[in-house]
Amino acid sequence: MDEKRADAGGPLGLVPMGRPGELALRIVAANLQGMLRLPVDILSPLEVPEEAFFPRRRQYDAGVILRYLGELDLPAHPRLLGVTHLDLCIPILTYVFGEAQLGGRAAVVSTFRLRQGQGKAQVSMERFYERLAKVALHEVAHTFSLYHCENARCLMAFSPALDRLDEIGLVFCDRCEYMLRQASQGVGG
Amino acid sequence: MARIKILVIDDELIVRESLIGWLKKEGYEVRGAEGGRRALEMLKEQDYDLAFLDFKMPDMNGIEVLGHIKGSYPQTLVVMITAYGSVENAVEAMKLGANDYLMKPFEPEQLMLLVEKLLQQKKIIDENLLLKAQAAEQTRYQDLIGASPCMQELFGLIEEVARVDSPVLLRGETGTGKELVAKAIHAKSPRRYGPFIPINCGAFSESLLESELFGHETGDFTGATRGKKGRIEMSRGGTLFLDEVGEIPLKMQVDLLRVLQEKTFHRVGGNTNVEVDFRLVSATHRDLTKEIERGVFRQDFYFRLNVIEIEIPPLRRREEDIPLLARHFLERFRRETNQPVAGIREDALKMLQLYDWPGNVRELENAIERTVVLAKGRYLTGEDFEFLFRSSGEEAIPRSLQDMEKHHIDRILKLCHGNISKAAGILEINRTTLHNKIKKYNLRISR
Repeated sequence: MDEKRADAGGPLGLVPMGRPGELALRIVAANLQGMLRLPVDILSPLEVPEEAFFPRRRQYDAGVILRYLGELDLPAHPRLLGVTHLDLCIPILTYVFGEAQLGGRAAVVSTFRLRQGQGKAQVSMERFYERLAKVALHEVAHTFSLYHCENARCLMAFSPALDRLDEIGLVFCDRCEYMLRQASQGVGG
Repeated sequence: MARIKILVIDDELIVRESLIGWLKKEGYEVRGAEGGRRALEMLKEQDYDLAFLDFKMPDMNGIEVLGHIKGSYPQTLVVMITAYGSVENAVEAMKLGANDYLMKPFEPEQLMLLVEKLLQQKKIIDENLLLKAQAAEQTRYQDLIGASPCMQELFGLIEEVARVDSPVLLRGETGTGKELVAKAIHAKSPRRYGPFIPINCGAFSESLLESELFGHETGDFTGATRGKKGRIEMSRGGTLFLDEVGEIPLKMQVDLLRVLQEKTFHRVGGNTNVEVDFRLVSATHRDLTKEIERGVFRQDFYFRLNVIEIEIPPLRRREEDIPLLARHFLERFRRETNQPVAGIREDALKMLQLYDWPGNVRELENAIERTVVLAKGRYLTGEDFEFLFRSSGEEAIPRSLQDMEKHHIDRILKLCHGNISKAAGILEINRTTLHNKIKKYNLRISR
């Protein structure tokens, strides 16, 4: 990756929402910086907006959170990634690991389901953080207008379930890597 | 490759937006409609590969919209979505042609697999359409189109006739494509590198026809200041096509007979022998044997022309070719006129097959041109071709309801050549009812 991406539109603001955990935030920030060469600032925590709560489903609407993040008055941070411990969904899907505005400003990821293993077992913390990093990179790449990728090993492949998320590598395929570079250069001007 | 186009029809903004958002991330071109009416307007503007359709919407219910989509845009696959889901709803929708259904909210994997499955299905449908189009290509012979046995037989005959140099007489009603057959014979013959020279013998006065055929020299006799080659001379090494040969005056039939026998002629006003070398194909819509009986056509000339006779079938005898021809002309006029017409509906094709086509393929060509030019929607429908069945002044006569019924049944019976089952099908009544009505109105069944 070239150095230009570091200047692509300014630093990304990482917004803790609820209790995602300090280490989780640092790992996400490190991966974004390492993989995307994108400077990341961990910002002050914010509450998830109340209107995002779906009482019937006892979940939070990721779409509402994205709109809330997208409208935040934080001019130094043209991109924001919310990280939450709450269970996210969108009206049409029973759950999502994360959600992003395609070509927009905001993305959000949830740690809620990422500990789940086979049956009632939980996966190791190492696997959990790897999953979180993958979801965060995937969602942030959407804000650079990247679509889902047909390459099942690419970070931009759609992972509807955790086993699929575990199958993909912590790497973008050549095509997505190229697209990401083009998109970030465009933004950085 | 063109991007997959998807239409999301749902009155709930959040549902519409989240589904559109998800599908966009998959790389599809997605648009949303907030209700059934808006969706139908959007479908008129462009084709969609897939539509997600909500069951309950305030302006139009989903089942109703589904009916419209399946009736008018059968290539668009439809997934019904519902939050109020019941198996009954889904079963009803599937019976009406929905390709699948989803109950909100869906599992992420379920949505992904469903879209993949449907797009695979869509690919197969599109491939089938392509194969059909390719099959239709095989029904082409030069510029002639026909899959019917009689046309396939004609293509075979042309192939055989083209190999020899004997004169051919083409017989067929006006508009059957006699000139196209003549061109096909020429194109398949050893003379194909020579010229194809057509002349419509019915379009000239006697003296002009003579000059057109034989040419003329300069001089006082002809009054011409420049010499001119006639069509016979121009066709050297190629094919001379005498269309409407039955219109040639008796005197000129003698001259032409001499040309055919002696292979030489004189230009009008000239006395130099001009040698000729052409293959003669002539055509007529008349029964020349009757013309001989009437004394207006020479028998010896007829025998010269009619070494090989080919009869070209009228369009009504090959109704299975009508959809092929209609689609062919539609494609041509769509390109020529740049009209946004995407296709022709089944009901329109059925209607075209019912009509008698006295003007044959040419009349069909004109009818398609007219409807393409005047088209209001993206697809030509039966309604667009109603003018074919309308006789002038028919609407002006006030009639009772019973009169109208009698008249309508009589007309459909005629269109179906007295075929009761076919007529009953069109009238959407059973055969017994139709028989009773025929008896009641004392209608005659002509076959």
